[in-house]
Amino acid sequence: MNRLQVAIEHKKLANGLHLVVAPDSTAPVVTVGVYYKIGFRLEPQGRSGFAHLFEHMMFQGSANAPKMQHIKLINSSGGVLNGSTSYDVTNYYQAVPSNALERVLWLEADRMRALKVDDENLKNQRDVVKEEVRVNVMNEPYGGFPWLDMPPVAFRNWANAHNFYGDFADLDAAHLGDVQAFFKTYYVPNNAVLLLLGDVKPGEGMALADKHFGSIPAGAAPQFADPSEPEQNEERRGNVREKFGTLPAIAVGYLMPKRRTPDWCAMALLDQALHGGRGSRIHRELVLEKQIAVEADGGIDDLFGYNGPTQMTTKILHKPEHSSEAALAAFDAVIRETQEKAISADELQQLKMKWRSDYYATLEGGRGGYMSKYGLMHLLACFTLFDNEPQLVNTILDGFIAVTPEQVHAAARNYLRPEKRAIVFRVPEMAGVKEAA
Amino acid sequence: MGSRTVEVAKGVPPLAPEREVIWPKRTKEKLSNGLQLILAESHSIPKFHGQLIFLSGNAAAADRAPGLADMTATVVRTGTQKHASRKLEEDLRRIGADLSTDAGSDTSSISFSGLSEFAEPLLDLVQELAREASFLEGEFERERRQKLEEVKLNRTQPAFLASERLRKVLFGAHPYSQISPSEAQVAAYEREDLHSVYREFYTPQNALLVLVGDFEPKDLLKSIEKVFSTWTGNKPSAKTFATPANPRTRRVYLVHVPGTVQTQILAGCHAITRKHSDWIKLGLTNTLYGGAFNSRLVMNIREDKGYTYSPRSAVNALRQHGYFSISAAVRNEVVAASLTEMFYELDKLRSLLVPESELADAQNYLSGVFSLGLATQDGLLSQFSTVAQHELPDDYLETYRAKVRAVTSEGLLATARKYLDSANMQIVLAGDRAQIESQAALFGDLEIFDAQGSRLE
Repeated sequence: MNRLQVAIEHKKLANGLHLVVAPDSTAPVVTVGVYYKIGFRLEPQGRSGFAHLFEHMMFQGSANAPKMQHIKLINSSGGVLNGSTSYDVTNYYQAVPSNALERVLWLEADRMRALKVDDENLKNQRDVVKEEVRVNVMNEPYGGFPWLDMPPVAFRNWANAHNFYGDFADLDAAHLGDVQAFFKTYYVPNNAVLLLLGDVKPGEGMALADKHFGSIPAGAAPQFADPSEPEQNEERRGNVREKFGTLPAIAVGYLMPKRRTPDWCAMALLDQALHGGRGSRIHRELVLEKQIAVEADGGIDDLFGYNGPTQMTTKILHKPEHSSEAALAAFDAVIRETQEKAISADELQQLKMKWRSDYYATLEGGRGGYMSKYGLMHLLACFTLFDNEPQLVNTILDGFIAVTPEQVHAAARNYLRPEKRAIVFRVPEMAGVKEAA
Repeated sequence: MGSRTVEVAKGVPPLAPEREVIWPKRTKEKLSNGLQLILAESHSIPKFHGQLIFLSGNAAAADRAPGLADMTATVVRTGTQKHASRKLEEDLRRIGADLSTDAGSDTSSISFSGLSEFAEPLLDLVQELAREASFLEGEFERERRQKLEEVKLNRTQPAFLASERLRKVLFGAHPYSQISPSEAQVAAYEREDLHSVYREFYTPQNALLVLVGDFEPKDLLKSIEKVFSTWTGNKPSAKTFATPANPRTRRVYLVHVPGTVQTQILAGCHAITRKHSDWIKLGLTNTLYGGAFNSRLVMNIREDKGYTYSPRSAVNALRQHGYFSISAAVRNEVVAASLTEMFYELDKLRSLLVPESELADAQNYLSGVFSLGLATQDGLLSQFSTVAQHELPDDYLETYRAKVRAVTSEGLLATARKYLDSANMQIVLAGDRAQIESQAALFGDLEIFDAQGSRLE
């Protein structure tokens, strides 16, 4: 078996900033990422959507690179850039021709050291974020389904249950003081990792990183709110109106085990058995065979990157002539089969082969042809921030390859239980649709 | 543009010397049955990516029904005599492979990727789907119903409705005017129609096989010959279509979507194909205008005014014609304000020379981003496929950067004057007429449609 090994060097600067370099000189391109260990899960109460709004503010100017200059300097170096906010991390990344490496480091260091924004920037980005929410959620059929619909139904701790994109009233309430406080609390070097991937020599990369980031003072270690959930002992259900689409939709989410446990590996393969494309059990049964559903897919969102309660979620859009209860019954039959009968060695072998192949694809790409090594960057960042062990990129596969049919069977029985799940019905406003309970 | 003065950065490190951009060598071959091959090595991961491209798509079948090539591609994916649906999925998974089928206006294709150690078995499955797809009645009926739901769902999406209308406005009687069938047209598809599209389009004389990845070209060539050499079939007869007239005089087309909280703006005009000698100049003009984050349009209506999240412009190249488009989803109150800024920026490009430093920034962007795709197998595949499909010169990739660098401000001004005239832009607005009709009417004669495409008074 031809195993992929990624060369990785890791060290920590005196101010606590992790530095990870993964050299590969195949193409004259380097990907630079900075990950901060704060996502929307632990943003301040009364400030839903703030972590994401803050991410936008990080492009609004810093002490030596005023508004628009970060974007201009990356684009005019021949590169692309973006940022994203997820549950437990926020990232900033750019892919550039490798001759722009030092310029990118200077820009990232400048905004880590001294964000410099004003009320006008905040108002501008609040408007932009509202348009983002409108285009992705409010004006879009099935917008926010189920990633925004599920949390308030499934969870009881505000951290996990609130609107991650933000209620508009909360976005309006955010002021410059919030921006400064959030920056000072979470955007400290000792809560971040800097990643250099691609055409960079480790020694040079380390020296440049030290030159630009080394003098940024460490901050107080951030205090994080407790994201844990009270134990769930009953099935939870909720309804959400669908304004534009005409097909009823259902999302079913089951609580996941903790990351990096044997159960986690088994659940990941069970997830592939259930959701891994056209050959998966749920798609095959609901779409291809019973033909109740038009779409039936899902999975574990960001398997390697969650650091708090999360679910494996199935999304079903079904034909209106079938009731939602009938669609749910068909889904339940697939789940029951995984509990009554162990997966065959042959099926598991297929899943593992596909898993390995997908894993390589993740490491190489992940955000389109122009953003190479996004997946590798994400995994290295999560393994560094959560586990202090970026080398896991080279060994994590072993745990999945070792999973046995018995473990998958046990995972199905232990985790896919009604009292551990939540169900959201997205109900079209169009007349004539059978309402779910 | 903006009301705010732009401050410059202080102490920016200079760029280091550039490393040379070297595109991998391509091995080009033609099998005796006419199948054209393009192979390139890329050893980033122990996998390979490929595409089997047929040079006929929805346009070539438009005289029979819109979207027929796309429906054919969908049903091809459901299996062959030897590999019924379930077995096909299992065998793909067994070798760690992904496979999808698709058809656009100009091509139909089978795209795939898999582990290098199983290259030959994957190529064999591709070959089987290209030659022996079974078009079972049950599979066809199911996929047709799926397509019907997809078509219905599309008609609730402002971005789709705007694209559909713009293509109709720009291309009139030409098949490029159709981006989707209607529900009635899907209901009228016959299995035999799909099968004849399959027999005509899916032939080696009409095909290109492009492969990029972790392999030895010599070894892979042997596998390809073994797998594909007994396949036969002729090139379908070429179809010609009258050149659509470029619409003159600005007009506004409003697609009424009740209840929307935002309006999708899409404006466009005819442009050029990739083979045209102005392609790179127009691409650079587009980069400056709205093709990059750092472009004038984005800086104006997003970063200065906050009207929208994702404004952009693009030069869209189909094989026979191209078109330019500007898009933004904006809140309802600022539809007129956004259009005013879009046209202001367009007119400015036709009126004033672009400053040298801004030109250099755009050149760096376009040539840098062009090379970023080098680092991944699918990035390379997409470049090689584009060159092959559009019949661009063999040295297109190698000479692209130098051509971008050679463009002057005068050249950009001439290009903007030649192609980008705000007085002739066709404007589509997908949104709630009650919220936006009076703003829409400010920009030209107005026609209003519902989501099904019927004229409203």
